[in-house]
Amino acid sequence: MRAPSRNPEVAKNLSAGALLAVHNLRREFDGVVAVEDVSFAVPEGSIVGLIGPNGAGKSTVIGMIGGAIQPTSGSIRLEGAEISGLPPNKIARRGLIRTFQLSAEFPRLTVMQNLLAAAPDHPGETLLGVALGKRYWGAYESAQVELARGLLDRFKMTDKQDVYAADLSGGQRRLLEVMRALMARPRMLLLDEPTAGVHPSMISELEGQLARLRNDGLTMVMVEHELGIVGRLCETVVVMSRGRVIAEGPMAEVRAQDDVREAYFAG
Amino acid sequence: MTNAQQYYATLLLVYLGVDIIAALGLNLQFGVTGILNFAFIIFQAAGAYTYAIFTLGPPGPESQYGAGFQTYFWGVSLPFPLPFLAAIAVGAGLSLLVGAVILPRLRGDYQAMAFLVVSLIATGVATNQIGLLNGANGLSLVPKPLKVELGLTLSDYDWFYVGLTAVFCVICWWIVHRITSSPLGRALRTVRENEQAALALGKDVRRLRMLAFAIGGGLAGLSGALLVGFISAWAPGSWVYAETFVYITAVIVGGFGSNLGVIIGVLLVPILFGEATRFLPDVGQAGWIDAGQLIVYGALTLVFLWFRPRGVFPERRVRYARSVTKP
Repeated sequence: MRAPSRNPEVAKNLSAGALLAVHNLRREFDGVVAVEDVSFAVPEGSIVGLIGPNGAGKSTVIGMIGGAIQPTSGSIRLEGAEISGLPPNKIARRGLIRTFQLSAEFPRLTVMQNLLAAAPDHPGETLLGVALGKRYWGAYESAQVELARGLLDRFKMTDKQDVYAADLSGGQRRLLEVMRALMARPRMLLLDEPTAGVHPSMISELEGQLARLRNDGLTMVMVEHELGIVGRLCETVVVMSRGRVIAEGPMAEVRAQDDVREAYFAG
Repeated sequence: MTNAQQYYATLLLVYLGVDIIAALGLNLQFGVTGILNFAFIIFQAAGAYTYAIFTLGPPGPESQYGAGFQTYFWGVSLPFPLPFLAAIAVGAGLSLLVGAVILPRLRGDYQAMAFLVVSLIATGVATNQIGLLNGANGLSLVPKPLKVELGLTLSDYDWFYVGLTAVFCVICWWIVHRITSSPLGRALRTVRENEQAALALGKDVRRLRMLAFAIGGGLAGLSGALLVGFISAWAPGSWVYAETFVYITAVIVGGFGSNLGVIIGVLLVPILFGEATRFLPDVGQAGWIDAGQLIVYGALTLVFLWFRPRGVFPERRVRYARSVTKP
């Protein structure tokens, strides 16, 4: 177990070579400090779990990494490049794709359209593409349809292809969101409570899919309340309480730490 | 057909075309992209005034059409089709201007209210600043396109105008259909469905909104130009804010997001129900017929929002072939 690094030099060394490095992140809302002095690194190919009691600041951290919330100070580096302060769409285009705590599917688009809409840099999404027509973007679109079919097959949702996302169950919407994030060809996924509101029978399916993605080498940061899942999926967990990181390390070690038990497990 | 009947028929057909072009524009903004543009009518008005000042020529006593009885800030006389192109450009340009102020800052209900306020301000300015566009009396004797060049009889020219409107209508439908059926249309719909999720997938939501808003504004401008080119007069009474609700009703009744739907919406709302009120027997005091139109539109909107929110002809579900590699 290691305590969170407060020394900037140590933090810098720890984050060297990391895909994502968060350093001294701070956010105030009207003078109230929601997140303070948060630093952690996500090595390429790993899954980092971000846990902590309600109000610990986890979603604020995810929001800042994804660009929806501007940090008051601190740095967020993706592949060594500073991304804090960039708008969410620019961060997404650099390959950092997030999902939301509340399902954020496009309800009146079908499952297939939801997936195709995530294809990055689609030539058919420009006025030039509209003017030149399918000759210009048809091949790209077909390739995306094939990619989407592969994902639907892998996530066992092929029969839902033409169903409106609004008509899916809560668990299916979660799967759709993960598939949609994968369509965007992420360098890294940011999952905000992927099992929230999912029927228990569906949770193991979702966990299995996330484990497969981990085995494929996809880097992820995951906020999750189901600690069993966090323990099985994540090599490292970062524990937050009252806006600060109070522990960092493998789940088994973090669980044993007194202040973590006090802040989190004992409620 | 008597001359009066013929005029009524051609007028109705021109209105149909004008309303289809306008409703396609509003559908692109509201039905497809989710921008509730309560100021839509001012972009049609901008196109109509642009057509007028680009055909009337310079104002003043020596003016061929102005003859001193109407004042406006500037004018020039350009040949067909330049006044129409100018109307499209002004409709789109004004949309970019209004959109740049309202779209990035406000969302949902607040955005709709801001548009409504813009519409009221525009009417107020045009009505009271007489030297701008002749105030409440508006502009009249607006020249008809190719009228002199063609040398047709009155009724033949009217039918020619119906054809001209139809040509514009088909071109507009084709352009809008090409956009909404392309991946760009899908991207616009993601903005309507969930802005935050669209951003998180890398979509430039601001650019997409402005694009739909400007194209819709261009179509609104063209519809105004076509209308004033036929009826030759345009005044603030033609574009009070309530006129926007006629188009919003048409989009809701026909089918939010569906181009074919809005054509049906136009046939039903301003044409069928709007015209039907003209043939009602005189009941009560004068003014009930005009009020009756708005009452019918309002009631239709409510009925559809409650019982058939997707409209008569809803947005088509795009189906994809199942994978051929797997049984």
